[in-house]
Amino acid sequence: MPKKEPVVFQIGWNACIHCGACIAVCPHKPGFITAFDTIAVNTPCDIACMACEAICPVSTITHQQVSGQKQDIWS
Amino acid sequence: MPTTSFDIVIIGSGPAGATTARVAAERGLKVLLVDKRQELGAPIQCSGAVSRHALEAAGVDPNQEFIQEAIYGFGIYNQAGEKTTIDYRQIKPDEYGQGEGQLPLGYVVDRRRFDRYLMTQAERAGVEVQLKTEGLGYQSTTNGGCAVQLRHFNKTFEVKAKVLVGADGLQSQVGKWAGLQTHIKLKELASCLQYVVDGVQTNGLLEIITGQHWAPGGYAWVFPKGHGYAEIGLGVARNMTRHDAQWHLEQFILHSFFKDRFKNYRILEIQGGGVPLAAPLKTQYADNLILVGDAARHVNPITGGGIHTALHGGLIAGNFLADLLQSGQKPNKQNLKGYQDQWLEASGNAMWKLYREKTAIFRNKDIAQRDDLLYKTMSDYFSPYSEYKKI
Repeated sequence: MPKKEPVVFQIGWNACIHCGACIAVCPHKPGFITAFDTIAVNTPCDIACMACEAICPVSTITHQQVSGQKQDIWS
Repeated sequence: MPTTSFDIVIIGSGPAGATTARVAAERGLKVLLVDKRQELGAPIQCSGAVSRHALEAAGVDPNQEFIQEAIYGFGIYNQAGEKTTIDYRQIKPDEYGQGEGQLPLGYVVDRRRFDRYLMTQAERAGVEVQLKTEGLGYQSTTNGGCAVQLRHFNKTFEVKAKVLVGADGLQSQVGKWAGLQTHIKLKELASCLQYVVDGVQTNGLLEIITGQHWAPGGYAWVFPKGHGYAEIGLGVARNMTRHDAQWHLEQFILHSFFKDRFKNYRILEIQGGGVPLAAPLKTQYADNLILVGDAARHVNPITGGGIHTALHGGLIAGNFLADLLQSGQKPNKQNLKGYQDQWLEASGNAMWKLYREKTAIFRNKDIAQRDDLLYKTMSDYFSPYSEYKKI
């Protein structure tokens, strides 16, 4: 499988219910988190598996490729 | 903090952490219990259902401080609304009910009050408790113990312990510190959302609605919540649907066979989370470290229930650590494996069996067959004759 492009996640805080599901499904080493029970934002993720976006019960995680392009994981 | 050396340090004061702490302290160990939150239990990520047996077995008094409503049985529905009722008020009227000499089967608890109650019981047993305290890391030391770094109101400090207990939930960082294989697959973590609502009638039963149409890869629920309130929620496996839990919950409320029953619903609270429908962690220990509760994935893979299993695991962990440390044995991984062995013997092996049953259901590619199997499995699971009655 070709290596995925690194992405940066954004969280729509208005919809976030701070449930922690995104951290639970994240394969990163410890510490790829914010203080608000979410995965890290504004930090490149080079795994780019998008499991955090998929698990979010309220679909409030989005990402941009580090190159700047916005993507929808379901399209 | 005056003391900096403990027998055990526990990170996370949910049901598993607080029970481990209380039991260990009752057995004479010196225990520090920390939680990063300022109020335990919040934000709520749980429907709060727990059996009376589970509380009693863990030495927890069913206290009005945390009980929201008594439960007497189950209503299991298939996708079309056909129902299997398992009401213990009818099955065993001498034992279950609201009358004198009768008892409930279980309760729906308020996790904020429940978690605080369990922490208080631990504190009264002699545990030192610190809220607003997060764990930063740990290292085993040459004397056979470990050093644990903590931060409390922005002040970083270090304590010594013989064993660190990771009770930090599904998002466990402690397990990752130890290098344990904690990663959960997307298809094995149900994405859940629930509304606490007014205006929806319930009658003392936990109602579970199965079927791909309403909750692909999971199920929907309607639970009594006390004071005339109810919880309506569901969990979905995201490998089985393009829509999120919120979308499915709206569909369920507005279009299911319950739509008339739900028509006057008013949302009072919104809660959610990831619920593992997965196997327990294969390795729940390392040098100077064990995991309990959600962090060890002590969750029923069929129901997603985790309070009973957390209390039970905490009881085993607290007693095991007291036996180990008081006998002077080293808390290395060879010896701490005994905790996992005890847990497997007591309930883990049954949980593995449930996991294989659940996996077999969802491996079936025929949706109608899968729905039938899930409905039947759920109905059997809650029957008084189930082999899993106390898991």
